[in-house]
Amino acid sequence: MIDRILQRLCKDDLYEGIRGDLQELRAFEIEKMGLKRANRKYQWRALGFLRHTFFKRIDQLKLNIAMWHNFFTITLRNLRKHKAYSFINIIGLAIGMAAGFMILQYVHYETSYDQVFENKENIYRVQTNRFNNGELTTQWAAGCAGVGLHMKEDFPEVEDFVVMHQSAAMISRDKNYFQPKFAYYADESFFNIFSIPVLKGNRETALNKVFTVALSESMAKKLFGDEDPMGKNVKLNDSDNFMVTAIFQDFPEKSHMKFDVLYSFETYVHYQGEEARTAWQWDGFLNYVVLRDGTDPKVLEAKFPDWILQREGEDMAQYNAAMEFVLQPLTQIHLISDYRSEIKPTGDKTATYFLLIIGMFVLVIAWINYINLTTARSINRAKEVGIRKVMGSLKSQLVHQFLFESSFINLIALALAFIFVLTAFPYFNDFIGRASSYTWPDVNWFWLGLGILFLGGIILSGFYPAAVLANFKPVTVLKGKFSGSSKGNLMRKGLVVFQFLASIILITGTYIVYKQLQYLQNQDLGFTTEQTLVIETPSFSRDSVRQVRESVFKNALVGESFVSGVTNSTEVPGRNPNWNAGGLRLLSQTEAESNQYRVIGMDKNFIDFYDLEVVAGRKFDDSYGNEPNSLLLNEAAVNLVGLNSAEEALDKDFYFWGDTFKIVGVLKNYRQESPKAEYDPLVFRYFSSPNGLYSVGINSQNVRASVDQIEAHWRTAFGDKPMEYFFLDDFYNEQYKGELKFGSIFSLFSALAILVACLGLFGLASYMTNLRTKEVGVRKVLGASFTRLLLLLTGDFLKLVGIAILISIPISYYLMNNWLDNFANRIFLSPLLFIIPAVVLIIIAIGTVGYHTFYTANLNPAKTLKDE
Amino acid sequence: MKGTQIGELEEIILLTVGTLYDDAYGVAVMQNVEERTGRKLTISTVHSVLKRLEEKGYCESRYDGATKERGGRRKHLFRVTVAGEKVLHESREIRNQLWNAIPGIAFNRGE
Repeated sequence: MIDRILQRLCKDDLYEGIRGDLQELRAFEIEKMGLKRANRKYQWRALGFLRHTFFKRIDQLKLNIAMWHNFFTITLRNLRKHKAYSFINIIGLAIGMAAGFMILQYVHYETSYDQVFENKENIYRVQTNRFNNGELTTQWAAGCAGVGLHMKEDFPEVEDFVVMHQSAAMISRDKNYFQPKFAYYADESFFNIFSIPVLKGNRETALNKVFTVALSESMAKKLFGDEDPMGKNVKLNDSDNFMVTAIFQDFPEKSHMKFDVLYSFETYVHYQGEEARTAWQWDGFLNYVVLRDGTDPKVLEAKFPDWILQREGEDMAQYNAAMEFVLQPLTQIHLISDYRSEIKPTGDKTATYFLLIIGMFVLVIAWINYINLTTARSINRAKEVGIRKVMGSLKSQLVHQFLFESSFINLIALALAFIFVLTAFPYFNDFIGRASSYTWPDVNWFWLGLGILFLGGIILSGFYPAAVLANFKPVTVLKGKFSGSSKGNLMRKGLVVFQFLASIILITGTYIVYKQLQYLQNQDLGFTTEQTLVIETPSFSRDSVRQVRESVFKNALVGESFVSGVTNSTEVPGRNPNWNAGGLRLLSQTEAESNQYRVIGMDKNFIDFYDLEVVAGRKFDDSYGNEPNSLLLNEAAVNLVGLNSAEEALDKDFYFWGDTFKIVGVLKNYRQESPKAEYDPLVFRYFSSPNGLYSVGINSQNVRASVDQIEAHWRTAFGDKPMEYFFLDDFYNEQYKGELKFGSIFSLFSALAILVACLGLFGLASYMTNLRTKEVGVRKVLGASFTRLLLLLTGDFLKLVGIAILISIPISYYLMNNWLDNFANRIFLSPLLFIIPAVVLIIIAIGTVGYHTFYTANLNPAKTLKDE
Repeated sequence: MKGTQIGELEEIILLTVGTLYDDAYGVAVMQNVEERTGRKLTISTVHSVLKRLEEKGYCESRYDGATKERGGRRKHLFRVTVAGEKVLHESREIRNQLWNAIPGIAFNRGE
């Protein structure tokens, strides 16, 4: 390859010496370093000769300028002569390229998280799975506490680890309060493992003492303004003082991690005891381990089951429980992980790859358009090719000509696509909910992508037509006997079928996604979400003063006319309950029968407030005093505990972490977490004012004013601490955001794909019917009816549509079934879900082809046949 | 006009062509320069300098001596011309004069 380039470009009298020297050096190096490396060095060395010193002068290059000039003229002339085709060709290609490019960059973005960290290929997160009675019950992102520490102790492959635990505490400086979303206790090894730049302070020792804290740059700015925070104190929950020992750069957007505040893990141990380092049956701890270079994570993972058995086997056997650890590669966590207690929402692998497929569909459809239109129209160019050949044009020159044409058209399309992308990019990012800080992909990658699109376009769409055109035999063509080969027709039909196939799959996909979303949103949730404001309870130490303050706040709210109700609970619907309790069972059962449940603490208003249905027994009630020993279950929990009916559960004794409670009631299942998931087994306990959330029902139209009023009461009760709140319906709908986003992206690109396919079909149809004008004239003269002619002309296309639909059904069935399997609660694929899109496609196809067929069938035969 | 000046690299390569006498071609020059001065040149640099020297008239070239390693290609052999010899002498002369002009005390620091 490089030799040929050199031969073409270098002066003939120099070439022999250059080539000879290169070869001599290579011969010498083959002995020294082997064939492969010698060849590589040869290539590099040869590239060094690509300098103008060695090049021939332009006129010696055997470049036939006149010929290229002629190609250019002909290309322009053809573009101008067939404006409609050119337009369809170029617009179609441009849309395809723009869509393809945007999707590629999206997929690239999603698949390249956490690339900035050094040693990223050796860092893994330990994800914990827990089993009860042989069933997988909980999958933690932040799992077992002591696993990192013990792995380091027991496995030589594990070089280092860091453990983290989330903190919900409020942080403050003077009267400046913040509720940081991303606050964690982190081990001193944190900055050794994650190479995030530390702007101030010592990364080795920043977190090795009790009551020290590292702040992100932006958090430091919020708390301290322009002051230098180093060595100063911040307060946790208005009580304990922490000294700032480091400021680190904010984590990049493209990371599955984000931290605003890192307290030293020592402090957590100080609060909670040594257990926090070593416990195995305590979850909620992020553990990252660093493996030694060259360790195969699969091999290490295979050693875990025995290790777990040896360490905890006996203990867990008692409860009939089991656990499992999975090593998640750092750079893939964003894409593959979506478990309890993720740091921030993760990506969706299926959706990402679905999108990739769709993007490629749009692009391929656009290229097919180009191929089809060019080859179909090749008959027009046949005479030109014939003449050129007779005049002595070589086949290779003809191929060059048509490749030049397609490069030229692709280049125009690319420029147009570039404009599309530039215009649409901000909207697109907005549309897919991308962070505002995100602008463009890494520059290199961007150009590479562009290059691939362009070259791919030329190769895919240029070579076939070029080969077809250049192959015409001058004698046949010039004799006028030429009429497209049957092989070419078959090829064209195959491509059209493929286009329809892609379109129908996309239409069906869109329709099914839409149906599933509709199904989810129309689920009976089992509770009401309307006009509910949810406020986080202030996080500061629990003391008698706080209780007074809380009751001041609650009483003030109840006193307002616009408030329809107030309740206080640890969770509201729409949240995965944080309180996960294992080892729970009926008192009469053995430990082996115990299970994990999610627990919600509530005051007495909760059930009425959310309009939950009690199917057996009663709710918590004032007439029973403080209910210290009662609890409620939901139906799923009744099932899990092994009872057959709600009634059976009543008055049974329930064992909960050393205490015994009486089951006083059973709630009907409601969608605590999300309609996407199965009903979770829930246990409800009574607390007079649980730490967590206030739900406030608002029955006024003026919500803004009501919130202001509530905020005023908040300040009276709790002072300067910020009131964090959200509306429940928005919050609950957040859970569909991923799906809604997916749905809208899916429909957008399907629409684009269909649009491009229709453009192509429109062009093709106009051309094909045009060719048959005379045939139609003759048929008309011989007495064919108008409808027969319509059928004749449309029939060809409809046949192709029919074939595409038939092929599409198993493919869409397989793909969509796969997607729906992500949902515990899903629709089932009925024939109607495939018939409706098929009908839509047929209508679209008839609409596209119809204009031309109608026009042609309506022509006066006298006119079409007169010049024969 | 071209040909009145000679660069340092050009000088070294021209001298090497002289030392190699009738066997001065790209690879040989490159290796010889490396052996004598420790300077690593790429083969394409050597070629472009040789070409420049030829254009300036300091050396002339011919093709001869095909070998098996070279895939049967002949060597592009260079030889210093009279003009080349002259320019080398000149540059040596200039240096000598400059050396002689340096007062003894200048380099005797620290004695």
